[in-house]
Amino acid sequence: MNDLATAVQSVLQQPADATRVKIAVRGLDFHYHDIHAVRNIHMDISERKVTAIIGPSGCGKSTLLRVFNRIYAIYPKQRADGAVLLDGENILDPGYSLNRLRSKVGMVFQKPVPFPMTIYENVAYGIRHHETLSRPRMDERVEQALRAAALWDEVKDKMKKSALGLSGGQQQRLCIARGIALRPQVLLLDEPTSALDPIATGRIEQLIEELKKDYTIVIVTHNMQQAARVSDETAFMYMGELIEFGNTEKIFTKPDKKQTEDYITGRFG
Amino acid sequence: MKEGTPHSGGVPGFFTGLSMPIATHVADPGNDRSRIDARNDALFRGILRVCALLVLAALLGAALSTLWGGREVLFGDGWHFLASSQWNPVENRYGAWAPIYGTLVTSLIAIVIAVPLSFGIALCLTEVAPLWLRTPVATAIELLAAIPSIIYGMWGLFVFVPFMAAHVDPMLDSTLGRLPFVGALFRGPPLGLGLLTAGIVLAIMIVPFISSVMREVFQTVPARLKESAYALGSTTWEVVWDIVLPYTRQAVIGGIFLGLGRALGETMAVTFVLGNAYDLSASLLMPGTSISSSIANEFNEAVGLHRSALIALGFLLFVVTFVVLLIARRMLRSLKRKEGNA
Repeated sequence: MNDLATAVQSVLQQPADATRVKIAVRGLDFHYHDIHAVRNIHMDISERKVTAIIGPSGCGKSTLLRVFNRIYAIYPKQRADGAVLLDGENILDPGYSLNRLRSKVGMVFQKPVPFPMTIYENVAYGIRHHETLSRPRMDERVEQALRAAALWDEVKDKMKKSALGLSGGQQQRLCIARGIALRPQVLLLDEPTSALDPIATGRIEQLIEELKKDYTIVIVTHNMQQAARVSDETAFMYMGELIEFGNTEKIFTKPDKKQTEDYITGRFG
Repeated sequence: MKEGTPHSGGVPGFFTGLSMPIATHVADPGNDRSRIDARNDALFRGILRVCALLVLAALLGAALSTLWGGREVLFGDGWHFLASSQWNPVENRYGAWAPIYGTLVTSLIAIVIAVPLSFGIALCLTEVAPLWLRTPVATAIELLAAIPSIIYGMWGLFVFVPFMAAHVDPMLDSTLGRLPFVGALFRGPPLGLGLLTAGIVLAIMIVPFISSVMREVFQTVPARLKESAYALGSTTWEVVWDIVLPYTRQAVIGGIFLGLGRALGETMAVTFVLGNAYDLSASLLMPGTSISSSIANEFNEAVGLHRSALIALGFLLFVVTFVVLLIARRMLRSLKRKEGNA
């Protein structure tokens, strides 16, 4: 517990000029029933940076991401131990309100999952859980979110149409718009382009580049080129453990650990 | 028909096709093979078409034969059959209102009770209950559906009717019965038998159908869809109401109308507990009759016009069910338009 206290201290007392730590992970363990999926993770995720988590399938990278908004909590028998400090507060503390956490930490999933509603309602839906807005204010917020997700021009004339009629890439940008409509501080992207074609992927990557001005972004990807292109920092995970974590350029050019080098050069994974 | 032409898909062509490959096999096996395939395919399509047409034929046949059997009453006496509630075998005067009213009211009561109950059961089994509890309860519910309706009828008459007479009827009469307007629905002597009792027994009978359909379709909602709603801060109830229900709406409404169809046509259980009185009474506590229980009760001794009247009732049940299905279609279409699909 002393460990935790010092961690909180160190997060709170950072010098103003240094990159601020947004999420501090301390001794995180994760269990699916009796499978120990993530082991003793320590990492600091910087504010307004893109942090990529890479590693072979089943290494625990998605699991780690799913701890950051406690989405795992909807399933029985999934358990996280340790501490994840968001701005110095432990989100794993049962007293930390899920509603508050999810308004601060947005998530975009692997496959585009628009809700069975109109395009407008898809974006407005999340906002309604946290704020009560007048119709014009809501219209404004929806437009802002869609513009930020670079989708506005394509959908502004069909806001009342079903979101299920959009293309895959458009649907994924709608999901991003839905996430940022809540004005979160952190955006979690779980392999956001794995179901998209190269052109749609390029557009999403461009979007990530722009979004990082305002948001702290954590992206899980199995595509190493993508991690190299979009991220500032990269974490390499293997068998549930964090093997190496640091500046993306360094990880991809001269990694410290042999395992990281083997994975990046394609010797396994 | 062009049965004689070599390219017909009929049975003669099929058989000549079978004998052909031996002669031409060496010359052009691919072409020959594809010709046989095309022929077999055509035959297969033909068989499927016949299967589908058989259903239509059966439906049309049943509708037409009840219409024919009931023609004397349906067309013989002007609009009397449809406009009157008088049912008098002694004077040979028949009006269908009481059974129609009884059928609709008992089915409505059944649906009003069974839909929320089934919804709760299905939700509990898919979203809330611990895993070890889900399968046993689901199986138990499906077993309920296998109980013959006569058993429900006997249970209704010997157990449930006395219970209603002793506890529920007097309680309703002294509470809801005192209210203005709606009070009329719940006033009456504690007979036990009646529309409300029949509606409740029907509800118990259709809960297994509706809840197993709902449970199955709720399971088809992709986990990632629910997760994305949870990720936006939705509660379980909001996820169910805003995501699960719209996603499965078509099948859920289908399940409800499957249950409603059963309730409309259910005979034995209703006959036992409905009281079989041709009265149009405002009170749900009073005995009534339904289309199918009238037929079951009287068909044995009915002759002449009486018999025709019962067959005409059967035809009306057809019409009622058809209209209900039509309304269901309409509802689905207008819901879709609201969602932006149209």
